[in-house]
Amino acid sequence: MQPIHTRLDNSAPAADGVLLDVRNLQTHFFTDEGVVKAVDGVNLTLKRGQTLCVVGESGCGKSVTARSILRIVPAPGEIVSGQINFRKRQGGSIDLATMNPKGREIRRIRGGEISMIFQEPMSSLSPVHTIGSQIMEAIMLHLPVTKREARKRAAAMLDLVGIPRASERLDAYSFELSGGMRQRAMIAIALACEPQVLIADEPTTALDVTTQANILDLIRDLQQVTGMSVLFITHDLGVVAEIADEVVVMYLGRDVESGAVDAIFHDPKHPYTRALLQSIPRYGNHDRRRLYSIKGIVPHPFDRPRGCPFHPRCDDFIAHKCDRIDPPRQFIGREHSVRCLLYAGAPELNSDKELPS
Amino acid sequence: MKPDSAVNAPVDSRGPLLEVRNLHMRFPIRRGMMRRTVGYVHAVNDVSFYILPGETLSLVGESGCGKTTTGRCIARVYSPSSGQIIYRVDEQETIDLAELDNRELRPFRRQIRMIFQDPFSSLNPRLPILQIIGESLKVNRVASGSELEDRVAMLLQRVGLRPEYIRRYPHAFSGGERQRIGIARALALNPRLIVADEAVSALDVSVQAQILNLLQDLQEEFNLTYLFIAHDLSVVEHISHRVAVMYVGKIVELASTEELFNNPLHPYTEALLSAVPKPDPRLRNKGVRIRLEGEVADPGNPPGGCYFHPRCRFAQDRCRLEEPPVRELGQNHWVACHFAEELELRGFESIGAASNDIG
Repeated sequence: MQPIHTRLDNSAPAADGVLLDVRNLQTHFFTDEGVVKAVDGVNLTLKRGQTLCVVGESGCGKSVTARSILRIVPAPGEIVSGQINFRKRQGGSIDLATMNPKGREIRRIRGGEISMIFQEPMSSLSPVHTIGSQIMEAIMLHLPVTKREARKRAAAMLDLVGIPRASERLDAYSFELSGGMRQRAMIAIALACEPQVLIADEPTTALDVTTQANILDLIRDLQQVTGMSVLFITHDLGVVAEIADEVVVMYLGRDVESGAVDAIFHDPKHPYTRALLQSIPRYGNHDRRRLYSIKGIVPHPFDRPRGCPFHPRCDDFIAHKCDRIDPPRQFIGREHSVRCLLYAGAPELNSDKELPS
Repeated sequence: MKPDSAVNAPVDSRGPLLEVRNLHMRFPIRRGMMRRTVGYVHAVNDVSFYILPGETLSLVGESGCGKTTTGRCIARVYSPSSGQIIYRVDEQETIDLAELDNRELRPFRRQIRMIFQDPFSSLNPRLPILQIIGESLKVNRVASGSELEDRVAMLLQRVGLRPEYIRRYPHAFSGGERQRIGIARALALNPRLIVADEAVSALDVSVQAQILNLLQDLQEEFNLTYLFIAHDLSVVEHISHRVAVMYVGKIVELASTEELFNNPLHPYTEALLSAVPKPDPRLRNKGVRIRLEGEVADPGNPPGGCYFHPRCRFAQDRCRLEEPPVRELGQNHWVACHFAEELELRGFESIGAASNDIG
């Protein structure tokens, strides 16, 4: 196989290695019934070559965060504030949040510098185009190559993602492949132009556990080869433990806690993070004891609780405080931040500072 | 009820509630204009097991392994192609559900109920909760009118929902709440056996924990027996007494939960266990992951010999030619592998999945 992954090395080095820096992102949906604050203040930092996992339950805004980065938030969603600073391959930093979502510049970045894979490969791949033509389309859109070269490169990509008899499979349709092979084909399309960042939105959720393990291995191996960064979105804490370097825990559109994977699993600070970790069935409880479960359900996006969004379900709820003050993001370690009033430096209750909503 | 169709299952009051013997389910593959049958998908292929009263037996395996079809045969959603499903009616009597017709099945449909995976498509969006749960009570003439409402309200309360919700429609509920409604519907007729087909797979972790706790509470309260169909091994490890592993329509291993997870005897079980993500970053790269190469065999055209041999790292010539029978090795530990005694397989613990110091 020809070496096809070389371009990342001559990219401009960033001093701190930060490739993507999302600051206080807010993406709201303006529906007829009211405003849904799907993402309401999210910060995340993706470093070169690292894997950042965004974890949370359904409706916490993790997918909308990912889509905001690529500017593919469906209407009536809009980024209302925040920055998405991205370091381009040629050097220089740009704010994706201010770009025209239909403009030429963002289209060059999509697929070229940042690409995305989705949960359901069957519905993200075209059923009427061959796998090969879908990879070639991505290649020819971003790179100055002929059709013949693109086809050669497409075959090399399929080989890279571990699809056997790659050059024959170029002419296969998506329905002729199994679930795992489809996900591999989608990864091949995403990586065809050697992006700096791969956003993976629940890529293994629909797969069997054995296939999931193979796809996780594949993503890890490809990361070694290409040096790309991965933004991995999942609800599965087991997957997070397997693959993450850094973790952002989200709840109701907020980054309630973020830090290194070891800190999140072994020194979790936010009551929600702790509750999540305790509610997964863990091997060794042979007495079939009850699982810890968080009381209540995720509130409807239209009636977000005042103050800390987690307070109605929180075991450590402090009356007259958590239901009034929106906890700010504070650092409790160099790279460990939490939004919770339990930790030092929480602002004193002051009726003047009470939040209006 | 035909007393002569009762089979000589062990007539012991502590005998199994349900015994499946040599169950087969074949679906025809039809091709061409005349819809000629050109072959069969052998979805369930000679499956035998029993479930004791009050126990949870889990069926695990990859998609397409026949676990759902087995569950549906037992609930008699499907009529099995052959085999027996021996159900204990009471201490004296057993009956083969596989050969009953719809009319004869009616009394047993109340006793064997199903809970489905997707709480969004398994509830009729046009019916209020009262009718969704109350329908089976009405059809079976158990209750009607205000008594029906009281019963449904009680059921809702039992599964942790407010009784006032009785006139609401499914769209007003979240995924976890809908799954509770599905459970209340299954409970309505005081069933003895519940076939839970991926009942928690579609739920978020925190809600999944609530539903698993609820299922365990209900089991204790009503002495329910569960056939729990799932692919998530950590959930299975948590809830089951015994586990059966299926591969391409066959049971390859069946043992108590602890035994199966600590001391697997089938290479497929070992591979499944090693693929489970370990919920602790410190265990990363510790232990060995067995990568399964290739694809699950096509149940319409399975390989010869042991169905697992093309993916098995221990496969030998004998495995390609000879189909391994299910044998009992150790107490109540069944396995279908020629070399089960010789292989040194790793359990969950030595794979490094165990950890208790989190959170």
